Amino acid sequence: MTSTDIAVIGWAQTEMVRQTDSSETKLLLNAITDAITPLGLTRADIDFTCLGSCDYITGQAFSFVSNLDAIGAWPPKRDSHVEMDGAWALYEAWLRLQEGDIEIAVVTGSGRSSTGDPALIYPMEMDPYFLAPLGADPLTFAALQARAVIEAGIATERSMAEVSVRSRGKGNIDELLTKEYLREPLRRHDLPPITDGAAAMVLATGDRARKLVKRPAYITGFDHRSECHNPSFRKLDDSPSTRIAAREAGIADGAIEVAELQAAFTHEELLLRSVLGFDDSVKVNPSGGALRSNPIMATGLCRIGYAADHIFNGGNRALAHSTSGPCLQQNLVCILEGRS
Amino acid sequence: MTRFVESTITFPYKRSLGPVVGMFMTALTEQRILGIRNGTDVIVPPMEWDPATGAELAHDFVEVGPAGTVESWTWVPKPSAQHPLTHPFAFAFIRLDGATTPLLHAVDAGSASALSVGTRVAPRWKGTRIGHITDIDAFVLGETPEVAGPDHGPSETPVSMMEYQASITYNNPVPVAADRVVEASKAQRLLGQVCPVCARVYAGGRGYCPIDAVELGTEHEVDLPDKGTITNYALVTPVQYPGQTETEPFARVFVLLDGTDVILSYQPVIELAASDVHVGVRVAAVWASPAEDIDEGAAMGGAYGALIGWMPTGEPDHTDPDLVNRIF
Repeated sequence: MTSTDIAVIGWAQTEMVRQTDSSETKLLLNAITDAITPLGLTRADIDFTCLGSCDYITGQAFSFVSNLDAIGAWPPKRDSHVEMDGAWALYEAWLRLQEGDIEIAVVTGSGRSSTGDPALIYPMEMDPYFLAPLGADPLTFAALQARAVIEAGIATERSMAEVSVRSRGKGNIDELLTKEYLREPLRRHDLPPITDGAAAMVLATGDRARKLVKRPAYITGFDHRSECHNPSFRKLDDSPSTRIAAREAGIADGAIEVAELQAAFTHEELLLRSVLGFDDSVKVNPSGGALRSNPIMATGLCRIGYAADHIFNGGNRALAHSTSGPCLQQNLVCILEGRS
Repeated sequence: MTRFVESTITFPYKRSLGPVVGMFMTALTEQRILGIRNGTDVIVPPMEWDPATGAELAHDFVEVGPAGTVESWTWVPKPSAQHPLTHPFAFAFIRLDGATTPLLHAVDAGSASALSVGTRVAPRWKGTRIGHITDIDAFVLGETPEVAGPDHGPSETPVSMMEYQASITYNNPVPVAADRVVEASKAQRLLGQVCPVCARVYAGGRGYCPIDAVELGTEHEVDLPDKGTITNYALVTPVQYPGQTETEPFARVFVLLDGTDVILSYQPVIELAASDVHVGVRVAAVWASPAEDIDEGAAMGGAYGALIGWMPTGEPDHTDPDLVNRIF
C-alpha cells in the first residue's frame, strides 16, 4: 500500500501487426497521442516519462534516444528508460510519483519483433558460457518447462490447447491435438504470434486522477522478483518469484475478479494460475493475452492496460502480471482497484 | 512502399572464464565433468556463487557423471545454424550422476520416440577439445561415453578464455525521411525539414520535430546551404577492433550551415589534415561523383549518401568565440 494514491487513468495501443513499416518512434508518437488526448492532456502536462524498449531487438545502440522524439521533451523534463517491458517502466513511474512533487507520468512499451529471427536473437541473451554457445532458443526453454509442468500434473496437452482456443477465440481442441509438434510437447497453437506494436499509459496522483477521470484504476500493490538466470538452477514446475511478488502486492487482501497474465506459451498460463492459487472465479486473460498478440516489450504493459480497463468499466479488483527472461525468470505483479 | 534494409552485426567476443568456469572447461578437455559443492548440493554447471543467495562458494569441485538421467527434453526437428547438431536432435536437462541440478545439452537420440523422462544418456566427446561446452558433441543413449573420431587429448595448459561469435541479422524499415535526404544528396542537395509549429529546421532526415513531437513530411522539406563553419571537433585515435577500417588518427567535425541554425554532426573532413582542424574553419560539402558507390543505408549521424565530407573553402576563419559551444 502506498502513502500517495497513484492510479492508471488511461492507455492506448497501436494496431498490433505481424510486421509494421513504421519506426518505433512513429509507433510511440501515435500511442502517446492516443493515450493523452481523450484525457484532455497535452504533452506539456506530462511531468515524467519512462520508456520500456530494447536496443538489442532494434539492432541499434541507443535506439531509445530517438524514441524521445515522440515525447516532446522540451522544456527539459524528467525522462527515463528501462531496457525492459513497459510494465517495468510503469513500476519506475509509480515509484517516482510517490515522491509527491509531480502529478502526471506517461510510460510506454515498444518493440518490433519482426526485425529478426527470435530463434537466433534470443540465445545470445542466455548464459554466455553454458547456454548461448548451444543456441538454446526460447522455444526450447518453453518446451522443457512445458514438459516439467505436464509431469507435475499442472497441465496436459489438452488443457494447453484449451487455453489456446479460449485466448484466441478460435480452433478446435481435438483437431489442434492432431497437429505435429514444433518442439514436443509444444504445437503451433501453444506459441505466441510475432507482433510489432507499442502501448502508452498515463498515471496520475490521487486528486489529479480524480479530476481527470470518473473511475481511476488505483495501483494498490506492485512488486517484482527475479530468479537465477540459468534455468538449470530453478524448479521449472514452480514460479516462486511470481508467488512472492503476488504476496507482496497484496493478492490475499481481496478477491481478484480479472487477471491478465503475460503467458506467451499456453502452459505458462496454467502454471501461473496454479502458483497464484486461482480458481474458476477468476477470469483470466479476457483480452486474449499474449497468445493473441505479443508485442515484445509492450506485452506486459498491455496486460496492465487491460486490467485497468476492467476497473474503468466498473470492476473492483484486477491483477496484472508481466514476465521477462527464459522460463518465467522474472515476474511482476500489479494490483489495480476501483473505489466507489 | 517502405524500403527495408538488412544489416548484420557481429561481435567476436573473447570471454575470460574465471576460476570456476575455467576449471570446468579445462576438465572438459580431459573428458571430465565437474560440479561444485553448495552445501549438500552439487551444482552442475558450476557457478562461483550460490544461485539462491549469491554467497561465494568454496572451490570444492566434484567430478560427476559421465552418465546421467534425462529430466526434461524436447525434440528439435529443424536445427538452427546456432545449434550443436545439424540433424534433428533433442535438447534435454540431464541430471548427471552425483549432481543435484541438471545440465542443458543436446542428445543425439535418432528420434523423439527414443526419449522419455528417465532415459539414461552419456557424453560423446569431440576428438579435439578446446575447453568449450561443445567439447561434448552431444549426449548419446546409454551408460558409455564415446569419443567422436581420433582423440587429441586434453589441453596442455589450463583453459582461461573462450571465444563466442555473436552475429545477428536485422531487417529494419528505412524511414521515408532518411531515404529522401540520401536521394537529394545524389543531386548534391542538402535537404532539411522545417517544423510547422516552432519553425526549427532539422537536417539528416530526422523525420520528427523532437520539441513538438510532430512528424515532418515532404511538405516540410527545405534546401539547406552547402557551406558552413566548423564549430567543434574531435580527433579520434582508432582502436583496432574487428571491422575498424581507419588506421590513422582522424577528425570528426560539427558544421554550422551558413545563415541557418542547423548543425551537422560527426562529419568527416577532406583535404584538411587532422592536425590542422580547428574551430572556425570555413568548409564546403564534398559530394561523391555519380560513378562512385555510395552508402544507401540510413544515416545515423555523420556523412550520408553522396555527402562524403567537408573541405576548406580557403576563406578566412570565422572567429565568433561562441561558435565552439554549438554542437546541437
